[in-house]
Amino acid sequence: MDALRILLDGANRNRTLFVLLAGFALFPIYTGIADLPFWNDLAMRIMLLGMAAMGLNLVLGYGGMVSFGHAAFVGVGAYCVGISQYYGLYNGWIHIIMALGACGALGLVIGYLSLRTSGIYFIMITLAFAQMLFFLFVSLEQFGGDDGMSIDRAEFIIIDLWEPLRLYYLIWTALALSSILLMFIVRSRFGVVLQAIKGNESRVEAMGLAPLPFKITGYVISAMICGLAGALFASWQEYVSPDIMHWTRSGELMIIIILGGLGTLSGPLLGAVAFLLLEEILPELMHVVAPNYAENWMIIFGPILIAVVLFARGGLLGLVRQLSGGRR
Amino acid sequence: MTVTLLLEQMFNGLQSGVTLFLIAAGLTLILGIMDFVFLAHGAQVMIGAYAAASLTALTGNFFLGILLAIPITFASGFLLEFILIRHLYRRDHMDQVLATFGLILFFNELIRIGFGPAALFSDLPKALSGFVNILPEAPYPMFRLVVILVGLVCAVGIHVLVSHTRVGAMVRAGANNETMTAALGINIRLLRRFVFAVGACFAGVAGMMIGPLTAVEPGMGEPLLILSLVVIIIGGIGSVRGAFVAAVIVGMVDTMGRVLLPVILRGFMGQAAADGAGPALASMMVYILMSLVLVFRPTGLFPPKG
Repeated sequence: MDALRILLDGANRNRTLFVLLAGFALFPIYTGIADLPFWNDLAMRIMLLGMAAMGLNLVLGYGGMVSFGHAAFVGVGAYCVGISQYYGLYNGWIHIIMALGACGALGLVIGYLSLRTSGIYFIMITLAFAQMLFFLFVSLEQFGGDDGMSIDRAEFIIIDLWEPLRLYYLIWTALALSSILLMFIVRSRFGVVLQAIKGNESRVEAMGLAPLPFKITGYVISAMICGLAGALFASWQEYVSPDIMHWTRSGELMIIIILGGLGTLSGPLLGAVAFLLLEEILPELMHVVAPNYAENWMIIFGPILIAVVLFARGGLLGLVRQLSGGRR
Repeated sequence: MTVTLLLEQMFNGLQSGVTLFLIAAGLTLILGIMDFVFLAHGAQVMIGAYAAASLTALTGNFFLGILLAIPITFASGFLLEFILIRHLYRRDHMDQVLATFGLILFFNELIRIGFGPAALFSDLPKALSGFVNILPEAPYPMFRLVVILVGLVCAVGIHVLVSHTRVGAMVRAGANNETMTAALGINIRLLRRFVFAVGACFAGVAGMMIGPLTAVEPGMGEPLLILSLVVIIIGGIGSVRGAFVAAVIVGMVDTMGRVLLPVILRGFMGQAAADGAGPALASMMVYILMSLVLVFRPTGLFPPKG
């Protein structure tokens, strides 16, 4: 019952998050009626990126650890599916368990080695590990090397993913569970300590707590959430290549979080919605306003990001809060 | 694998090292002194390359093109600081990341609109396109040699500027204690703009040097940005000397790795597999190097004092 109370209280405190989740749950009804299957695809991409960004946000936003290599975990999660299938293993549940295990173990090693440093050095060493993994997969000719490997949708016993909406709701469930898990984590003793470390590490130490285990645990959990997103991403895209773990993808995850609102539960998801919707809408808009420059929509996108920094403190969620009079 | 080939590759490594240094020098000052995360520094490289390439085409003279392009890169750094960057100094690092990422997208697209998405190739003037014998029987492209020379001259110039001039002393004082320096009557705001402009200028020169060697295209700056960030970390943030040493090391490791690793790997696996894995593993070398440096010297090889 305690858990239920926390859940209800959390829902009340994080209305934006639950509004978004409800929106994603109901969205296929709308696209079904309006016959817009493409938008379901976009919604799945938003949810997957949002989930990965939420995972990263646990260390970036709550823990103050700026990891510039989280796309590597998404990629490893995706490759867990690809490599399993290469060896004839098609069970999606096993893929997910493998992705969680691999990313957890990898997160432990990378976290342990990287968290000796801090600040910009931490940013760069996490980038270094991600680049090593990126080039490792580029060099693995067996699994497609640079070109990547095409894969089948995983078989989830009971759930047949070839029925498009089932994949949609599988992703939705994973997103919802990750969100709720993160909500509990952030409010737990562990989460509070993690946020305290971000505030002032030496004070936490002075209170008799060793920060490192908390930071590493946070890093591992965040890596695992990204791995889960990656495993589902592979099923959604039916293809995986090293591109998924390119450093610009890590940057993209960071941008999505900052755009939405750093260190908030709904920020990353809101950021993913805004980021990917702008990617879709701006070219259309340019097509109407300046048809010759429809491909150059980034000329608007860049300044929009800058404007968010200059005029919306706390990202888009900050803007939402301002407009709704302080409520979340 | 002959000695001449090895020597040639060492020169290539040096050449890529000094170009990296030109980019990293400004970035390490911006990051170290102003504590500003400036991701759009790669765009300055691109602006320099495009300015030189288009002005060369316009004037028909390579040297005139470069001479005219240098003030443009200076101005672009100056104006960028004036219009946007100065409003962001007091903001969170993450805000700076988002804003300067927006700048990257903007500049890349601006170049794409202005010059088209295809890469520009520029011909070298006759005076620079020949070969020089660095050893008897060891010809080396003249232009690469010039790049090395220009890079070394710039390196000496930056060193003198930072360590032996009045402006350099102000910059160093500003890095040490901004409030105190301002209290002594030094215009910190102008100083910052100057550092930005000079940094952009050197990054632009790097772009002009790389231009004829590789493709001049939108987005060409970003891989260089990442590599020069690696250089800065290895060298120690804020240290120009460290940036130079690290840039040469990174240039060498990267170039030599690309040449030697496939050869070494052939000893362990088939030729096809070695040729496939070699370049990828060589790209990994730089990052392995950086991680090793950080494990043993967490603040880089030449951590700035104080």
